[in-house]
Amino acid sequence: MTGTDTQRLTRLREGVESHALTALAVLTSAALVVAFYYPTATVLIEAVVVDGAVTLATFADVLTDPFYFGELARLLSGESPTAVARSLLSPDRRLGIVGFTAYQAVLSTLASVALGLPAAYLLARFEFPGRRTLRSLTIVPFVLPSIMVAVGFVATFGENGTLNAALTAVGLPPVDLLFTLEAVVIAHAFYNAPLVARVTTAAWESVDASAVETARSLGAGPVRAFVDVVAPQVYPAVLTGAALTFVFTFGTFPIVLALGGFQLATVEVFVYRLVRDLSYAEAAALAIVELVISLGVLLAYLRYEARSSTNTRGARPLPRRPLFPPAPTLRELLPRAGLGAYAVVAGVVFLAPIASMVLASVTGGDGALTLDHYRFLVERQQTGAAFQVRPWPAIRNSLVFATGATLLALPMGVVVAVLTTRRYRGRTLVDAAAMAPLAVSGIIVGLGLLRGLVFGVEIAGWRIAASGAVAIVVAHAVSGYPFVVRTVSPGLAGLDRSLVESARALGASRARVIRDVELPLVWPAVVAGAAFAFAISIGEFTSTVVLATGAHAYTMPVAIERFIGRRLGPATAMGVVLLVVTGLSFVVIERLGGEHRGL
Amino acid sequence: MGSERGTGGRGDETDAPVAVELDGVTKRYGETAAVDDVTLRVREGEFFTLVGPSGCGKTTTLRLIAGFEEPTSGTVRFAGESMAGVPPEARDVGVVFQSYALFPHMTVGENVAYGLNFADPPEGTTRDERVAELLELVDLPDAADRDPESLSGGQQQRIAMARALAPGPDVLLLDEPMSALDARLRERLRAQVKRIQSELGITTIYVTHDQEEALAVSDRVAVMNDGTPEQVAPPRTVYREPATRFVAEFVGDNNVFAGSVVDAPAENELAVDVDGGDETLRVRTDADPGTAASVGDRIAFCVRPENLRVAGADGNPGDAASPAGENALRATVASAEFLGETTRVTLDWGDRELVVRVVDPIDGAVAVGFDPEDAHVIEVESR
Repeated sequence: MTGTDTQRLTRLREGVESHALTALAVLTSAALVVAFYYPTATVLIEAVVVDGAVTLATFADVLTDPFYFGELARLLSGESPTAVARSLLSPDRRLGIVGFTAYQAVLSTLASVALGLPAAYLLARFEFPGRRTLRSLTIVPFVLPSIMVAVGFVATFGENGTLNAALTAVGLPPVDLLFTLEAVVIAHAFYNAPLVARVTTAAWESVDASAVETARSLGAGPVRAFVDVVAPQVYPAVLTGAALTFVFTFGTFPIVLALGGFQLATVEVFVYRLVRDLSYAEAAALAIVELVISLGVLLAYLRYEARSSTNTRGARPLPRRPLFPPAPTLRELLPRAGLGAYAVVAGVVFLAPIASMVLASVTGGDGALTLDHYRFLVERQQTGAAFQVRPWPAIRNSLVFATGATLLALPMGVVVAVLTTRRYRGRTLVDAAAMAPLAVSGIIVGLGLLRGLVFGVEIAGWRIAASGAVAIVVAHAVSGYPFVVRTVSPGLAGLDRSLVESARALGASRARVIRDVELPLVWPAVVAGAAFAFAISIGEFTSTVVLATGAHAYTMPVAIERFIGRRLGPATAMGVVLLVVTGLSFVVIERLGGEHRGL
Repeated sequence: MGSERGTGGRGDETDAPVAVELDGVTKRYGETAAVDDVTLRVREGEFFTLVGPSGCGKTTTLRLIAGFEEPTSGTVRFAGESMAGVPPEARDVGVVFQSYALFPHMTVGENVAYGLNFADPPEGTTRDERVAELLELVDLPDAADRDPESLSGGQQQRIAMARALAPGPDVLLLDEPMSALDARLRERLRAQVKRIQSELGITTIYVTHDQEEALAVSDRVAVMNDGTPEQVAPPRTVYREPATRFVAEFVGDNNVFAGSVVDAPAENELAVDVDGGDETLRVRTDADPGTAASVGDRIAFCVRPENLRVAGADGNPGDAASPAGENALRATVASAEFLGETTRVTLDWGDRELVVRVVDPIDGAVAVGFDPEDAHVIEVESR
């Protein structure tokens, strides 16, 4: 090659490199538009466009329907506030679907905080064998597929569940918790309490011990020092956990579908039902109401976070006390006794569902150990009719979709993380736009993708259509990439800015610095983000169940849901298979991710 | 305040071509101007230092030169060429940070070689030779395979320097490169930095808050305050003829007097009634037209502690006065700091303080005086 050729090549490479970041940002935005904003918009627009004319009639119908808004609907339809307030205070008040959804979300949030805080206290302030392992385990519920959790809860709290078996064994009457609000709230706590514990622990560990020592030396007692110094630094994290829990449980779907049924229907379940009944306009209007509430909470939280994020990593964390002191005094004993009681509750909530599911998968109708349920899966695979759900395609689809979704979510997440760690005007807006998939109903995204991408869209004479499988991968990537952002961002933000600047002064372009310096240094977080995306995809149910209809693109969670209604045994066996697969991705997260802040 | 004061016209600058020029550069963050209308010229091969207290804008100035920040207004030029919109990687600068910022996932050798991914080593040398050459230059020839984190702070600092120099930049920018090191090491390293700089003849812009360091290594110093250089001059000039009260007090110890001119007994000589004292002091003004004053003007002048003569309590005030018997003050010892070679003594003079340096301990009432030539006029406010 001649010198000028080399020069031209070098210049070309430099040109590409210097615009690589912009190009990636544009591609990510395009992917978001195609896979999220456009499909969502096409569905949501139905709420206001009926027969080609813009109207707010559908909205008005939803907003003033007591079925959705309970007593509040009467307020919206013009009744006097005092009359509404009086009915709200009466015992037989009606909350409506939206009211009930918010109500169960608030209860779930309270339960999650109540279950999460003692765990944070234990993890942040005590030293005991296995503490680090336990801390890592707090990430597990998050990557567990919700449908599997539902199966675990059925196996625990169902009529023939382990709880009733235990109660009968000690001579107590059996209880039926299934299809009650309690079961739903406990299942939500299973899911979200570890999240609360995780963010709170991280904040607690970053409290500088010398701040507490200063307060003590100035005359504050231990309680006062906690209230004045520790609590103000920990409570934003509790709020983070609570806000996210609210948003997640407000949009809850598989857990309510499996544990509550339609008698405890939340907004999302009802959107699903309306979609199945082909009442798209009403479904869209309802979904918008849901979105506005979720986004409102999320935005309020992001604003708060932007205002209060100082991220002063403690120079010296608070020292941990031994959990089992050699000769405990009464004052030392009291908090430990409390933690002991907590451990029992936590055992029932967190361990029982998983253990029950595994147990149920190897227990026959007669109570004897058996592999019948697994044998059923194998037989169904060999002899199942074409319309029946067969296990192997479900496993294969799950793995293929998860791999595809990860490959898509990873670059998207990294790009958004890079764009949102730098400070500039409007960053919160970019952050919110990028995080919106967390708040939008999976049903709506799924439906939008189904009718947009799968059925095909015509753009300037070109017909663009994708298979159901492709649409599922895209939908999974969209719901998984915010977790990549959340794991990678803290690492990037924590990097010494002069590392980036040194590399640039040495001649590296912005994109080159990401490749050479930033990504290698936050590599564990990138891998953890990938494992997150993988696990989220494996467990994703909501948009998959919409997109899998008709197509043979069902996944493990969809298969479980199909089984669960008819026979619990095979569902638990399938659940165990799913547990093993997600467990493996957890090992990857743990091995490579280590301890990191955030989710 | 004229930002050009104390620059130019006195042979302070060499005739070498201008390497880096700031022309009316301002950098605002919201309402506050971190750098406020700065005009500076740094000559090729010069060791130029930006010194000032924290928040004076010196680091922002450096970052504007490096291209990490873009000026709100004004122009940065390299060899006469505007750098507006030119990203840092295209500016041919080498930067060393206070935190060294060595890439922790690369060996020392890979760190030093990193810039050679984007610029060829000088004619006739290979990449490896260039790395070896630079490690040799910073006296760490065997460090190539080591992990940056296994090195001491001082060694890391030298590697950061080698890395910045490897691609052969036109300008070397050093941002408080020694602040994280202890005093003794800092002295040794600054001598090494100076040696390397003069060996390579590379234009160097150095940022520090340590005025002693600035005086020790620089060809010229810009003393910055509130986003503006108050004086740009060689170290000796800055020390002996501070242009403003801020410079007088920031660079070294100083005694600043303010008062009114009551007489002009001879050419370039003023008699000043000092505020807060009964004495009339004699001051010789130099040829600088900026310090010309006439009767009735308010002026400020300074006298370095080492130029204040002290006579013990039993001595005659005249012993401390100038040969002509002028400028004798009576004061009392307030406190003393033993510094080894000398003792820094703070004196109460009326309700004001004076600082002197003495070899033998003193105590109680003392007489203090100075020669009119040792006073330097820093401010004149005409009536």
